[in-house]
Amino acid sequence: MAGIPAALIRLNTINKAISGKPHAHSSRHGLLKVYYPNQSIRKQLAMSALKEESRQIVASLAQRVGPDADSAGIAQAIVSTLQDMDTALTPIIGQQGVAALFRRSLHLYVGRQACLVGSGDRVLACQAPAALKSLLIEQSEADALFFGEVLLMTYYELLTTLIGPSLTARLLRDVWKPSLSDTPSQENSP
Amino acid sequence: MNTKVTINRLATGVPGLDEVLGGGLPEFSFNLIAGPPGCGKTTLAHQMMFALATPERPALFFTVLGEPPLKMLRYQQQFDFFDSEAINHSVRYINLATDTLAGDLNEVLRRIVAEVEANSPSLVFVDSFRSVVLASQTQDNPNNNLPQFVQQLGMLMTTWQATTFLIGEYFTETDTNPIFTVADGLIWLRQSVQRNSMVRKMEIMKMRGQPTLPGLHTFRIGTSGIKVFAPAPLNRGETPLEFPVQRLKMGIPKLDEMLGGGLPRGYSLLVAGPSGSGKSILAASFLAEGARNGETGVIAVFEQRPNHSQNATLASLIKSGQVGLVDSRAPDLSIDEIVQLLLSEIARLNATRVVIDSLSGFELALAPTFREDFRESLSRMVTALISVGVSVLLTSELEDRYTDLRFSPYGTAFLTDAIIVQRYIEVQSRLLRIMAVVKVRASAHCDELRLYRIDDDGLQIGEMLPDKEGLLGGRPTQQHLGTVEG
Repeated sequence: MAGIPAALIRLNTINKAISGKPHAHSSRHGLLKVYYPNQSIRKQLAMSALKEESRQIVASLAQRVGPDADSAGIAQAIVSTLQDMDTALTPIIGQQGVAALFRRSLHLYVGRQACLVGSGDRVLACQAPAALKSLLIEQSEADALFFGEVLLMTYYELLTTLIGPSLTARLLRDVWKPSLSDTPSQENSP
Repeated sequence: MNTKVTINRLATGVPGLDEVLGGGLPEFSFNLIAGPPGCGKTTLAHQMMFALATPERPALFFTVLGEPPLKMLRYQQQFDFFDSEAINHSVRYINLATDTLAGDLNEVLRRIVAEVEANSPSLVFVDSFRSVVLASQTQDNPNNNLPQFVQQLGMLMTTWQATTFLIGEYFTETDTNPIFTVADGLIWLRQSVQRNSMVRKMEIMKMRGQPTLPGLHTFRIGTSGIKVFAPAPLNRGETPLEFPVQRLKMGIPKLDEMLGGGLPRGYSLLVAGPSGSGKSILAASFLAEGARNGETGVIAVFEQRPNHSQNATLASLIKSGQVGLVDSRAPDLSIDEIVQLLLSEIARLNATRVVIDSLSGFELALAPTFREDFRESLSRMVTALISVGVSVLLTSELEDRYTDLRFSPYGTAFLTDAIIVQRYIEVQSRLLRIMAVVKVRASAHCDELRLYRIDDDGLQIGEMLPDKEGLLGGRPTQQHLGTVEG
């Protein structure tokens, strides 16, 4: 486990304590995945079709969160990641297009994970990434981080279904970059 | 010393387009790509953009209010030319929807200029420009002056050494649109729908400073992108006849005799006859004879079930690679597409003999929109083939009509240098076949009507029927010598 950020180790432990049925979202497109809350999200993400990307997203978020962040720090890291995604995408697809992607991601997230963070209605009420902050601060560190990972992955997968994996990776490359450059090299191998 | 400016021509990366443009796209030109929805404007723009953009001189693609960018990226990446790695590197997309929605053209112009200054692009695209125009019209904004906006944009882009494309939906060419005046180039795309067929056509209505190829040029959109079928260049001039005239053997010795020693090299030959008269067998023996002498050939087959109608000789020639097969069953063919297929196959094999089997099937394969111009099309095809120095054999289904003597159903007999006609006749309760050489331009030839039969070895030419007359009427009668005197 050497080199894995403390936040993730905590997450593993806490995930093990959560039990329940898998949260499945029966997508019309049949492209979305089922996440089991009683298994490590990291493991599950690692098994998804976008294995490399999930690893990048998880590592990048962990890097932004830092070793001993509280809920507020985690919320800030999640919001800033989402804002960086906005910044990367807005010139290309426009403000409205990006806003619509964010909203769609929230809806997909709620379909998967409604029970974990707050009520679905509160999540869906967020019109922009910044609005998530107040909601996340109220959560435990593990829940907030879990929310962030799943939401970012959902967003990423959504974009992938629309414009394909290679273009999605190309457009969002810079979002994960700063965290990767700070990550020790052994982090890059699974 | 020549002090005139040299206008560089950019290779567009779209097959056939450079020829139609008259030698490529003039650098720093200000162009309009116009046409109705779905005609391929955005695809054309993307294909040129990915071909021409470099990291040093990138392309800027401004998306305005037309197609949502996500959707455009989703669909454009289906094409082979789309390169994800080029995005944000040599190709940059910039969304101007918000600025355009505000309806202030000055602000739109300012955004475009700021991005152009920041990126020094070699190529600028605005898609769709039509929406800029509409947005400016719907706003009650007295400061909006479209002609002035277009004028300024054109001037600025040229000054910044950017080749610019405005992409827009325009339905009538007669619009007194200021853009049409300012633009250096007008590329108009169309979809011609007739009955159940659709053909894409492109017209270069204007391209300052270059001799574009006039008229409508067909194009297709496939996974590799747009392919324009430019007409084959015809000005290479026919190769002058060499004396003594070289003659090609037909693979049927007696037929060579009838032709006056074979078909003169570089000639076109029409073989006209009713169904089952052996036209395809004659064509196959023409190719087989070439192969025996080390020549290669090309055959274009326009049959619904080409494999079923092929004879064994031809099949083995195709298999061995001595004969190239052009068998485009693509719907709605155009003459230029077929000519291009033939010419590329001729060039690939360095072929000297070409067979078109048959003109009747060829006519059916053409899109209905081209059938009205079939004679012109045929004339262009024959000329294009002859001008590359090959000898061409065309077969033509000829409905038997015993009241008139015709050689082709299209009035196209004059197009070819030589004609062989085949007919059925009824003699003693048998259906026999006769054949005659009707013409061989600038050459003596036999004037006999010869009986022939078809067996396992091909066409066997026999004798005349000197005691019969009225053969061309189909029902010959016994000649009664001396009955006039008697």
